[in-house]
Amino acid sequence: MSKAVDAAATESAADAVLRTDGITKRFGGLTAVDDVDIEVHTGEIVGLIGPNGAGKSTLFNCITGTLSADEGQVYLQGQDVTEWPEYEIARAGLGRMFQETRVFGDMTVRKNLLLAGQEGGAGVGDLLRRPDDRLLGAAGELLEYVDLGELADVRAGRLSFGQQKLVEFAMELMGDPDLLLMDEPAGGINPSMLENLIEYIRRANRNEEATIFLIEHNMDFVMEIADRIYVLAHGERIAEGTPAEIRNNQRVLDAYLGRE
Amino acid sequence: MSTGSEDGVLRSILPPGRVNSVFGFCGQHAWTLLFVGGVLGALPPVFGLEEGYYMTVLSEMFLFGILALSWDIVGGQTGYPSFGNMAFFGIGAYTTAILVKDVGTAFPVAMVGAGLVAVVFAAIIGAAVLRLRGHYFAIATLGVLLAAQQVSRNLEITGGASGKILLDVPPGTAFYYLFLGLLVAEMAVVYYLSNTRFGFVLNAIRDDEEKATSMGFNTTYYKTAAWMLAALFTGAAGGGYSLFNTFINPQTAYNGAWNVELIAMALIGGSGTVFGPVIGAFGLHTIIEIVETAFVGWQLVLLGAAVIVTVIGFPEGLVGTLREYAGEMEYYKRGGMAATSTDDTEVATDE
Repeated sequence: MSKAVDAAATESAADAVLRTDGITKRFGGLTAVDDVDIEVHTGEIVGLIGPNGAGKSTLFNCITGTLSADEGQVYLQGQDVTEWPEYEIARAGLGRMFQETRVFGDMTVRKNLLLAGQEGGAGVGDLLRRPDDRLLGAAGELLEYVDLGELADVRAGRLSFGQQKLVEFAMELMGDPDLLLMDEPAGGINPSMLENLIEYIRRANRNEEATIFLIEHNMDFVMEIADRIYVLAHGERIAEGTPAEIRNNQRVLDAYLGRE
Repeated sequence: MSTGSEDGVLRSILPPGRVNSVFGFCGQHAWTLLFVGGVLGALPPVFGLEEGYYMTVLSEMFLFGILALSWDIVGGQTGYPSFGNMAFFGIGAYTTAILVKDVGTAFPVAMVGAGLVAVVFAAIIGAAVLRLRGHYFAIATLGVLLAAQQVSRNLEITGGASGKILLDVPPGTAFYYLFLGLLVAEMAVVYYLSNTRFGFVLNAIRDDEEKATSMGFNTTYYKTAAWMLAALFTGAAGGGYSLFNTFINPQTAYNGAWNVELIAMALIGGSGTVFGPVIGAFGLHTIIEIVETAFVGWQLVLLGAAVIVTVIGFPEGLVGTLREYAGEMEYYKRGGMAATSTDDTEVATDE
C-alpha cells in the first residue's frame, strides 16, 4: 500500500462514526455474515439492503453487541467496541430501533421518552434523580413534533403500531445518538405516515446531527432517503454505492432476482 | 369487557371520569395522604387499643403490607416473580434472634443488622438467580427458600429444627409502631423511586429487558439493586417478627405459604403500584383472619380461589384495573381510538 493511499484511508477512518473490519458471524455451519467491511461517516444516511436471510439484522446485532462477532472488529467513533457489553456500546452513542417496534407498553408515552433521555452514570445520585424541567420540556417538544402530544399520558401499549413506531423514534431522538441504527423503519407503515417518517428522519439527520444507518426492504423509500447503500447477499457484501449506482448494478439485480 | 348495557350500568354508578379524578387527587397529594395514613395508623394505641388480639392482627397487617410491597419491588415493578422472598425474612428473623439472645445486642441494633445481613445475602444470591427469567427465576428462588430453611434446620446456632424461644422481648405496642413505621417508610421510598431513573428502569426491565439494554442500561445492576432493596425491608421485618412472635423455627421463619400469601396480596391489590400491594395486604389479611377464626383451615382454599379469580379476571389487580378503567376515558377523549383505526387499516403493502 502506498503512503498516499494509507493517509487517505486513515483520514476517512477518522471521520467514520462506524467502521466494521472483517465482521464474520457463524451459526453452526451457516456463515450469516461473511467478512463484511462497512464505513458510515458523520452526517450520512446509509442504507443496508439485501434479500431475506442476507445477514442484515445479524450484522446489526454484531454492531450493537447483542451478538458477539466470531471474527473482525467494530469501531465506534474510532474506538474498538467489539468486546464491549451491549449497554456500554449504547452509552457510547449508538441508538437502535428494532424491526418489530418495541416500546415499554405498560409505561406512559411520556415516561418512555423520559427514560430514553436519561444521561450520566449509574451512581446513587443519578439513580435517584427525578426528571428535571429540561428533560420534561424536551420530551414534550418531541411528542408535539411527532404529533403525539395528546397521547402523552396514555400507556404506550395502547397505541397503534404506527404510533408506537413514532414513539420509538422519538425515544431515540431523546437519547441524542451519534449513530442511529434503524431496522426496517418503513415496515408496516401506511403511505401517508411513511412520508412523515421520511421527513422526520431527514430532519433528525440535519438538525440533531444524527448519522443514520438503516436496513430497508422498501426500495423506493431507501433509494429516496439514502446517500449511499450497501448490499448484502448470503452474508457477503456484494456492492456499495449511491442509489443510482446500486439501481444499475448487475450483481445486485441478480441477487434480488435469484440469479447467481 | 361485558355487554354494552351492563357497561352502561357500571358507568353510571362509577363514572370513569370520577375514578380518574380520584387517581389525580391521590397522585397530587400522595405525600399528604401517606402522612395522614401514618398518623391515623398511629392513633389506636393512643386512644386505648391495648395489647391483645386486635393489636396483634393490626400489627400483622402492617407486617404483611411490608412483605407484599417488598415482593412487588422485584415481582411487580421489575417483573421478576420471586417465590423466595421469605428467605430474606427468615434470615432477618434468625439474625435478630441470635444477636439478641446469644450475643446480647440491643433490639434496634439487631434489627438493623437483620436488614443488612439480608441485603448481603440478596447481593450474593441475586448474582446467580437474576440471570434467569420467568418460570426459571420463580423456581430458582423457591429453591433458595427451601435451601435456606434446610440450613437453619441443620445449624446449631439457629437451634436446629426446634428453633429458638425468645422470652425477654419488648411490649406488643413497640412492634405495632415498628411495623407501621417500617411500612410507611417503605411506601415513601417506593413512591419516591417510582419517579426516578431507578424506578423508570425497573419498569422498563419488566416491559422489555432487551430493549432497556439496547438503550444503554446495565439491567443486571438495576435488578440486583431492586432485589437488595426488597431484602432490606423484608429482612428488617423478619428481624422484628422473631421477637414479636417470641419464637422462631425453620417453618415459621421460612414460611412458603406466607410467600404465596404475599404474592396474592400484591396481585389482588395491584402489582406495580405503590398502594396496591398494601391495600391487598390489608384486605386479604383481614379476610383470611375472619375466615380462619370462623372456619379453621378454609382460609387456604379461599386464598387459592382469590388468586385464580384475580389472575383470570383482573390481572392488573384492584388498583391497576381501576386505573385502566379511568384511563380508558382519557384515551378515547383524546382521539386515541380515531388515530388507531386509520393507522391499522391502512398498513402498507409494499414489501
